[in-house]
Amino acid sequence: MECVVQGIIEAQHVEALEILLQGLSGVPREHFKIHELCLKSGPNLGAVSSEVRLLCNLERPEPSWTVRHIGGAMRGPGAEQLSVLVRTTTESKVSKNALRFFYALGYKLDHELLKVGFMFHFHRVALITVTVTSTNKMPKLHVIEEAIPVTPGMQLVEVSAPATADNYNEVVAAVSSFCEYLAPLLHLSKPGHLTGLVPTVAAAAASLMSKGSGQVL
Amino acid sequence: MPVKWLLHWQPNAGTTINSQVLTEVSQCVEGINGIKGGRWKSTLSIYKAIARDLNAPLECARDFLGISFQEQPNKHYFILRGQRLVLEADSNIQSIMEKLQSYRTRISLNIEGFQYQLGDFLVKMGKVVITHSENLRGIVMEVEYLPISSLEKSRQIMEEFVDIWQELVSRKSLPGHFMHIEPNFSEYGLSDPYSFQHTAVQYVTVMIQLMASVRN
Repeated sequence: MECVVQGIIEAQHVEALEILLQGLSGVPREHFKIHELCLKSGPNLGAVSSEVRLLCNLERPEPSWTVRHIGGAMRGPGAEQLSVLVRTTTESKVSKNALRFFYALGYKLDHELLKVGFMFHFHRVALITVTVTSTNKMPKLHVIEEAIPVTPGMQLVEVSAPATADNYNEVVAAVSSFCEYLAPLLHLSKPGHLTGLVPTVAAAAASLMSKGSGQVL
Repeated sequence: MPVKWLLHWQPNAGTTINSQVLTEVSQCVEGINGIKGGRWKSTLSIYKAIARDLNAPLECARDFLGISFQEQPNKHYFILRGQRLVLEADSNIQSIMEKLQSYRTRISLNIEGFQYQLGDFLVKMGKVVITHSENLRGIVMEVEYLPISSLEKSRQIMEEFVDIWQELVSRKSLPGHFMHIEPNFSEYGLSDPYSFQHTAVQYVTVMIQLMASVRN
């Protein structure tokens, strides 16, 4: 399972966010370029309809493929109280013929996206990953060269950390605590509950830009 | 990885596979100074599509096979015979398939036994049983030639080994013989060097033969 929150930031403030993340994490950023294909089960297939994502990492010289299944979010009054979404996710590396495999299994392409951005991986109580993503759609099937932004001028920020049934409370606390550092730049909330931009962003970004990078908090 | 040929026991018409055959062929390997090593095991599952409405059409593969090898515990292989497709994945792909609830495991088979070292050859004798059952469904034999990973370059020496082996087994007058059916690997997009995908495809070919002989 994973603990996850998301937020949005204007592209003009991404550099400031990067400086902040660099300072907080103390690790170098990693670039990513991922072609994501969302597949849904055919009309009569399966006890329930299902969805699976194929991720093709284009950042490496030889593209590598991963299958990702995002399960249901944790429910109940306890989960409602949490500021972080706790959900099951399972990933598996697969060979490059995975798309053919799922098509043969009766899955259909629902949509595809090109996600480009950078991420920081670091340990702060939990193994936290922060991704800053520009999401693009393809006007023509699979033609990633012609991808255009879905939300021009806006990027998605996601903070996530792997957890288990035994430790998710600590991981939720770690993610929540980390999000407070980012609060001057963006609101982070459960996926599907985006709360918009923060009014302090311009001032906070200007301050960060003037201080520059390299400060480990 | 070393090249591998998979052979299976084909019983004579009107006879069935029994554990005595496995004992005898294992003694054959030991008789030619095969050094008995540890146990080995592979697990094979047949997945069947789940139709929400049994009366409505289902536009997908009806079934496919999944196989995992003890030598490669972090990987799992799915084979779609109709589409000539073999997928290599991390072993937790099985957990994803369970969560999707679009296919279910209809039957699981264990293939297990002992391995024997014969110079540069590694021979694995295995019985095929349904998981949680002891009923023998088949006998398989893996022959690995350790120095070579090319199917083409090893063809001659593998053929010679299998010819000698067949001769040895025939002296026992057992009610059947070992068969080697080489799949058309290129149809699956597989070429040299040899890989676990090749082994997965060989198991599919053998399973079809075993199921046919069980039906007959």
